[in-house]
Amino acid sequence: MSQRRVAITGLGLVSPYGGDLADFFGRLCAGESAVRHLLTDDLPRPLSIPFVSCPGFDPDAALGKPLASMMDRFAQLAMAAAFSAWDDSGLPRQADGDKRDDWGVAWGTALGGTLAYEKGYRELWQKGRERLSPLSVVLGMNNAANAHISIQLGLGGVSMSHTVACASSAIAIGEAFRRVRSGEATVMLTGGSDVPQAYGVARAWEALRVMAPGDAETSPLACRPFSAERRGLVLGEGGAALVLEDWDHAVARGARIHGEMVGYGTTCDHSHLVRPEAAGQIRAIGLTLADAGLKPADIDYVNAHGTATAEGDPVEVAALKAVFGDGAATLPVSATKSMHGHLLGAAAAIEAIVTILALREGTIPPTAHLAALDPDCAGVDHVTTARHGRPLRAALSNSFAFGGSNAVLAFRAVDL
Amino acid sequence: MDSIGLIREFLQDRLGVEPENVIPEASLVKLGVDSLMMLELMFEFEDRFGVKLSSDLKTPQTVGEMVLLMDGLIASQKH
Repeated sequence: MSQRRVAITGLGLVSPYGGDLADFFGRLCAGESAVRHLLTDDLPRPLSIPFVSCPGFDPDAALGKPLASMMDRFAQLAMAAAFSAWDDSGLPRQADGDKRDDWGVAWGTALGGTLAYEKGYRELWQKGRERLSPLSVVLGMNNAANAHISIQLGLGGVSMSHTVACASSAIAIGEAFRRVRSGEATVMLTGGSDVPQAYGVARAWEALRVMAPGDAETSPLACRPFSAERRGLVLGEGGAALVLEDWDHAVARGARIHGEMVGYGTTCDHSHLVRPEAAGQIRAIGLTLADAGLKPADIDYVNAHGTATAEGDPVEVAALKAVFGDGAATLPVSATKSMHGHLLGAAAAIEAIVTILALREGTIPPTAHLAALDPDCAGVDHVTTARHGRPLRAALSNSFAFGGSNAVLAFRAVDL
Repeated sequence: MDSIGLIREFLQDRLGVEPENVIPEASLVKLGVDSLMMLELMFEFEDRFGVKLSSDLKTPQTVGEMVLLMDGLIASQKH
């Protein structure tokens, strides 16, 4: 069967800045950090960490009370992002004569309904209750997000969730892409959402000694990928969604096409749970380029995984240098996690949106707070302030997970 | 709080249903109470009144049936 082209016709997210997609991208290009200090009232010791929240997100307003009350926050963020992407695509929420039996959802989440389970544990162990709400199961299950999305948008095809730590939504998007390209699905709603502010989760990440410190004053500058002064990653909550659509279907209905998805590759380091290895990343980038029919010289921007951990950043740069060779020195690279944080299972989805908007707008958003480059991270063209007005042909978005799973997505601009 | 008061509060809190629409003849399904929400409503009710609903209970169809069921249980618990 001949391969279909895959159009990106819808983008949507719950922005930590509170505004719409254009506002989100504009703030990233301005180098504006969404990282703030999070101080909770958790027992026995409150969380006090730099974090990216979505304080403007009102689930009741975004979803309506009956729907919102059936969901944990990770699913609320998912549903709101999905509605936003769907509305952006111009497709009606209710099927209007169009058969959606082969339309599906592939959703990424590393933590799923952890917050719902954590609430249950508090009830049982802190409040001494003996039983839990009957809604606990449907609030907590990891596939709640994709299930709600399928129901709300009437999508009768595959509905699945992918849990691959920090690469969850990269793999979700990649698997969705393959289904549209193969002709199995006409439309796939994909993306990811996560809520790492779960007390046990945030404490667990602290224990790994990979989280950047910060207080009310310093938190906005806490995440500094590729910098000699980097102190670690900053977690964040969020949801981001894309509509991938059969190109001919999109053209036939006159949809606006933001960009084209052209490649996906995934590998495993198969060596260590948390220590990344360039070889596995090199294979993933190589697979993606081959899948997309692109050469390294065709790539005008890479949105890096760039979490700002001591170990991860130099390995990623080493992998890029290996793949891009002599071209690496002029390869524009930025890590937007410096501003929107690390959204775990939603990270790749929000970064895919950033990458697609960069291609569409011809604007590369920067790595914020990168005044002092770590010599170990040198060798690519680090973008430290936004670059406007340059046509970009194609771009990659990297995601490298604990567990050694690597996933890379390739996108192409429409008009070039 | 009496039974209908609790039902009104629950439906307003969870589903955004206006209290004046929660009248005895109203269908629970039409107010938005599906099987999951019914379980949650019964759970809330058990919690508030310290009673235990038997698991082979016939599911009430209207607000009025729900009130009758609740009132009956509360009365029997008091004996």
